Amino acid sequence: MTLWLDIGGRLRKVELPANHATASGVVTCLVDDRPLQVDAQRLTPGLLSLLLLDPPANPTSPDPNSPNPNPPPDLQYRCILDLSPEGDAVLVNGQRAPFALADPRSLRARRGAGAGADGPRPVKAPMPGRVVRLLVAAGDEVAAQQGLVVIEATKMQNELKSPKAGRVARVAAQVGETVQSGDILAVVE
Amino acid sequence: MRRGIQKILIANRGEIALRVIRACREMGIRSVAVYSDADRAALHVLMADEAYRLGPAPATESYLRGDLILDLARRSGADAIHPGYGFLSENADFAEACQRARVVFIGPPASAMRTLGSKTRARQAADAAGMPRVPGSVSGLASAAEALQVAAAIGYPVMLKAAAGGGGKGMRAVTLPAEMEAAFQTAGSEAERSFGSSEVYLEKLIERPRHIEIQLIADTHGNCLYLGERECSVQRRHQKVIEEAPSPVVSEALRRRMGEAAVRLAQSAGYVNAGTVEFLVAGLEPANPEPTSPAFYFLEMNTRLQVEHPVTELVTGLDLVQMQIRVAEGDPLPLGQQDVQLRGHAIECRIYAEDWQNGFLPSPGRITRLAQPAGPGIREDSAVYEGWVVPLEYDPMLSKLIAYAGTREATIARMVRALDEYAVGGIKTNLGLFQRILADPDFRAGKIHTGYLQQLLASDATAQSSVAQRQEPEAVPEDVLALAAAFFVASRETPPPASEAPASRWAAAAHREGLRA
Repeated sequence: MTLWLDIGGRLRKVELPANHATASGVVTCLVDDRPLQVDAQRLTPGLLSLLLLDPPANPTSPDPNSPNPNPPPDLQYRCILDLSPEGDAVLVNGQRAPFALADPRSLRARRGAGAGADGPRPVKAPMPGRVVRLLVAAGDEVAAQQGLVVIEATKMQNELKSPKAGRVARVAAQVGETVQSGDILAVVE
Repeated sequence: MRRGIQKILIANRGEIALRVIRACREMGIRSVAVYSDADRAALHVLMADEAYRLGPAPATESYLRGDLILDLARRSGADAIHPGYGFLSENADFAEACQRARVVFIGPPASAMRTLGSKTRARQAADAAGMPRVPGSVSGLASAAEALQVAAAIGYPVMLKAAAGGGGKGMRAVTLPAEMEAAFQTAGSEAERSFGSSEVYLEKLIERPRHIEIQLIADTHGNCLYLGERECSVQRRHQKVIEEAPSPVVSEALRRRMGEAAVRLAQSAGYVNAGTVEFLVAGLEPANPEPTSPAFYFLEMNTRLQVEHPVTELVTGLDLVQMQIRVAEGDPLPLGQQDVQLRGHAIECRIYAEDWQNGFLPSPGRITRLAQPAGPGIREDSAVYEGWVVPLEYDPMLSKLIAYAGTREATIARMVRALDEYAVGGIKTNLGLFQRILADPDFRAGKIHTGYLQQLLASDATAQSSVAQRQEPEAVPEDVLALAAAFFVASRETPPPASEAPASRWAAAAHREGLRA
């Protein structure tokens, strides 16, 4: 099975063998068409022990006839699936990498379009919380980094700032409302 | 059947409620949990013998409702209340209400709480007990001219502070007399705007102070012990982040001086039960552990059990919560000052649900994955579990991770190892912050002060890529990240194969062995 993945903003192609779910022991996978020998042991649905038998950092001895006196180590990685409202990520030996299934064409298209600084920009709640104050109204002119909405979570108030200078197209939040992570609170155009 | 307290209601939530429940279990005392609507699924409820609903989620309608809590104590037949920390723990009126209701309040008497809990009255008590405190004016200053007079008497640099203040507002450092006029005006107007009172007072500025505190426990028979110190200098916005015992810079002689001063203060106010006297300590460096000047200044007293009590428990071998309960039952302390021996070193990390790399934004939500550390010398006081939703309404502390070993160096290594084992999914945590601090040469050398963490974070922010650079040697190859993500995606799309059921094969083998025998 071939998967296109957006990993921390980088597009990767990973091909797993058809029997990856049932095969025990070593399988060969292709990452961006390069073969890697791995032993992926699923311990629980979100926990994986990945043995990398051919680490890319340590190429094996070029001459198969003379055994390498220092064979590369079989590196073990503890991989944990981290599902959260902001998106999925893998935690590997403490390092976090967000990922998403990607359509290679749309991803390339998105990169080509740039960051979209000219268009309307939504201001989203970075965490669940309660809206305690609105600092602007629709139609207001705002400067970049000007506070727009104050939300409160775990006893702390946080001011959400405008991503750019412009005009507030709409304010989607109401005082007292509970919002979820990722909810759009306002749009600046 | 035990004498004394039979059943304790814990007027708190989270890890401290669980900590008290565990002590109750070990002592054969029944435990009563109370919970708000946000906490029905909390671990402190699950682990208690009895549990009662208090009210809606906001603390003002639940955990701060002393009247409801006393009603529940009556209804459940609890003969004592443990307040934990925060909420009602330092509320003298509540302690008094418990007394009137003939329920034992596991803490100091209301009178001692009133004397030592209030900042101004505690300063007077400290003066009366001969305790050094930061020199300066005790009351508000009428004018910049008066400020200049006081500053000249105590020496520069000085700090102007809002009398009604806190949290850094209305504070101005003044290093030269020429700066006084302007600083006095701005501090006053900032205080007016923030607190509705322009009253400012003046203190000598202690540069790069350490926050070091003495743990006390006193019984009702006039005995009071100091159980060593805790160094809590690693702070962010006056919130402790890492605590350790003993302090890397406190000598046996200084410990005795601070400990005896703290005991004098507590005894002067008739203090009973566990408490902590906090000091600012100046002029101490690892290389110069014996300053010539009087180096410690009284800051305040906390008339309750503290969050960081486990580090003291580990180095003294005592159980502070059990001691609190026994003292409340009227027992004399089971040991004398000469029996208090410090052994080894302990460090505590306060793990929070917050995005430390993004302005420390809180990160409540569902914990989708939780791998907690274990092994030698690791203690974890937490009340979280996989699948639990960290509520919006309360302090976002998830856990206290505590490491204990023979030396400070070994304890740091042990903590780093435990942090490596720790993984939390679904929400952001400050686990990475501790890795950052514990790798810092200044922290490792014990060169810390209350501004240390802010400086570290500021220097990282200017060095921008320093975090990435530092992780380079052990960075996980990008191919591995891609493979891990691919296997997770693939297993979501293809159901896992039928289990080979190794357990049943074991059972079959054992059965065969059994038949053969």
